Amino acid sequence: MAELVRGAESTDAPSILGICSLEKSFGSLMVLKDISLSVDRGNVISIIGPSGSGKSTLLRCAAFLERAEGGDILYDGQYAMQNGVYASKAELNRFRSRFGLVFQNFQLFPHYSVMKNITEAPILHGEDRDEVQERALSLIRKMGLEGKEKAYPYQLSGGQQQRVAIARALAMKPEILYFDEPTSALDPELTGEVLKVIRQLAEEKMTMVVVTHEMPFAKAVSNRVIFMAGGVIVEQGDPREVFDDPREERTRQFLRVFEH
Amino acid sequence: MTLMTMIVKMSEGLGKTCAIFFLTLLFSLPLGMIVALLRMSKVKVVSAITRFFITVLRGTPLMLQLLAVTYGPYYLFGTNVARNKLIPVVVAFAINYAAYFAEIYRGGIESIPIGQYEAAEVLGYSKVQTFMRIILPQVIKRIMPSVTNEVVTLVKDTSMAFTVSYQEMFTIGKQIANSQTSFLPFVVAGVFYYLFNAIVDYLMGRVEKRLDYYR
Amino acid sequence: MKKTISLLLAALMLLSLSAVAFAADAPADRTSFIMGIDPEYPPFSYLGDDGKYTGFDVEVCQAVCDYLGWELEIFGVNWDEKLIQLDSMECDCVWSGMTILDSMKEAGYVISEPYYYNTQVLVVKEDSGIDSSADLAGKIVAVQLGTSGEALLNEDLAELAGTFDSILTCDSFLKCFTELQGNAVDAVFVDLPVAASYVAKNEGLKIIDEELGAEYYGIAFRSGDAELCAAVDEAVQALVEDGTYAEIAAKEDYAEIVENLLFLQD
Repeated sequence: MAELVRGAESTDAPSILGICSLEKSFGSLMVLKDISLSVDRGNVISIIGPSGSGKSTLLRCAAFLERAEGGDILYDGQYAMQNGVYASKAELNRFRSRFGLVFQNFQLFPHYSVMKNITEAPILHGEDRDEVQERALSLIRKMGLEGKEKAYPYQLSGGQQQRVAIARALAMKPEILYFDEPTSALDPELTGEVLKVIRQLAEEKMTMVVVTHEMPFAKAVSNRVIFMAGGVIVEQGDPREVFDDPREERTRQFLRVFEH
Repeated sequence: MTLMTMIVKMSEGLGKTCAIFFLTLLFSLPLGMIVALLRMSKVKVVSAITRFFITVLRGTPLMLQLLAVTYGPYYLFGTNVARNKLIPVVVAFAINYAAYFAEIYRGGIESIPIGQYEAAEVLGYSKVQTFMRIILPQVIKRIMPSVTNEVVTLVKDTSMAFTVSYQEMFTIGKQIANSQTSFLPFVVAGVFYYLFNAIVDYLMGRVEKRLDYYR
Repeated sequence: MKKTISLLLAALMLLSLSAVAFAADAPADRTSFIMGIDPEYPPFSYLGDDGKYTGFDVEVCQAVCDYLGWELEIFGVNWDEKLIQLDSMECDCVWSGMTILDSMKEAGYVISEPYYYNTQVLVVKEDSGIDSSADLAGKIVAVQLGTSGEALLNEDLAELAGTFDSILTCDSFLKCFTELQGNAVDAVFVDLPVAASYVAKNEGLKIIDEELGAEYYGIAFRSGDAELCAAVDEAVQALVEDGTYAEIAAKEDYAEIVENLLFLQD
């Protein structure tokens, strides 16, 4: 367990993300209980678990979209939240530039072209327009979306839209990228193209946390798998261990559903 | 009086009809946004008070509001009645229409998925940037049909200015109808309103078309 | 566009045709009578304290109906559309301190014997320094839409009206007086009895002693209703002869108008 909170203690090489004893409730319902984890540079972490297990809430807490009530959140060893108290708005804004988030429903801006979806935020942050546009073009190429620069989201398939959303997040040059069930809203035949892109990013050593139901993908791509249920981390570790030889009964139960 | 002279006389009032129409839109469209934001305020007192005013403005006849704005100050405080009736007329119309627009705006704003705000927040858009760049353009597209409806109603509602003796087109029509014991001025008025609204319809249709580039 | 106009016109024509078709209803078979009034025209017709319509004209009409064995029904017209409402059968007559205009006769309406002599006067603020119509040059004058005063300013008194800064046409005389008291206009041009009753109840106003247009009140009927008109005229005469008419006129509420009632003058 000591290894888990290493990031929180800010040793020689701090983790990009450190979460320590995180608590979160909706009303009287505790959805996250004593969650601790850390994400090191270049790692890909998959979070799996039944719906309602709190895995999306955990990700949203890390992205400041949900307010946690207790514990610590650290980026690069710096506290974004300490003992349930958040840093100032300005500081949170600075932390925000460290991560990107890809939503289940893409959440592209429907009134913007693909290009503008990707470029507006960096330009608003004062980056050079030409530079941003060049970066966007290379991201569009990387996502296999050449020729779609001027298209509007409604003209694209779900898989294409999600790849634009990934490009949009990457355009901000995040140090860590969060995926909240990135393929759940897609038709089965379109999930492959999105997973392929994430896999490619993993090969490039992009740090990522992926909440997913795609077990084979989680097993193949991630360095570590976290299994959550009922608001707690039940088990985590090397994907082969968690998938092939889970220690906990709850994990076995869950994985059984995915076996044929 | 020939039909031609009727038309000429009534078109003199058309300028005042247009004045009510354009000035009302000029003030009520932005005012409605302010009211909508107050209505959605997280401060409970502010939203409750705003909500009360909206229900009063939507729940009482515009004609009554016109009378209240024009003659109310005199009866309450003994102040002078405005000589230029355009002022109280536009004030009453702008406030009344702002209440209607506010509810349309609110409906539009609340129909935008929360995820759009979240996406903008994660990408580092400020609150103002999020509203102006991401939310508002989508709201405008969504509310266009309802706004067009209100604008068409406004054209017809301008005739209510007669109740405070503002000599717009319909008031003049009524005067002619009365002195000539003829129904014809009402037909002329009907045609004028129809033409006015045909133009409004065409223009609003073009705006809607321009917003058609996305879904 | 053309199609819309012709449709509209067709609808209008149908309306007026039906009005003519139903107009002739022999008075002998009649059992009810709908009186069209301006509900805000005291003392001729107004809403009484008990919530029922009353006034000199209403009382006389009630007596006429009693005399002829008709059931009286009262219909409040929109004054500036009274003749249109008469034509569309919403009422059988307009009887409400109505000034007889030549244009009504020209349009074919049947008008009763005149029963009241009226003049128009100007009401101003006491401290306004206005003492005659000549002082109104460059001033604003309010008049009620659809009244004979409005017609006078447009026609017989057009020359005087030309010296005004402007004329404000209100849709009720109360608004005319509010405009005056709120200093938005300088004078109100109105029927003498209305002026007298309003000035008596409100301080700071005066009537300029200048009669600006003689006119007579009468009852208007649809063009096909000459027989009905004659029946009402006869009934009124009968009431004058048996003293009922004078009895009604003697009430205190009608003190301002009694002198101008034509049937009571010798």
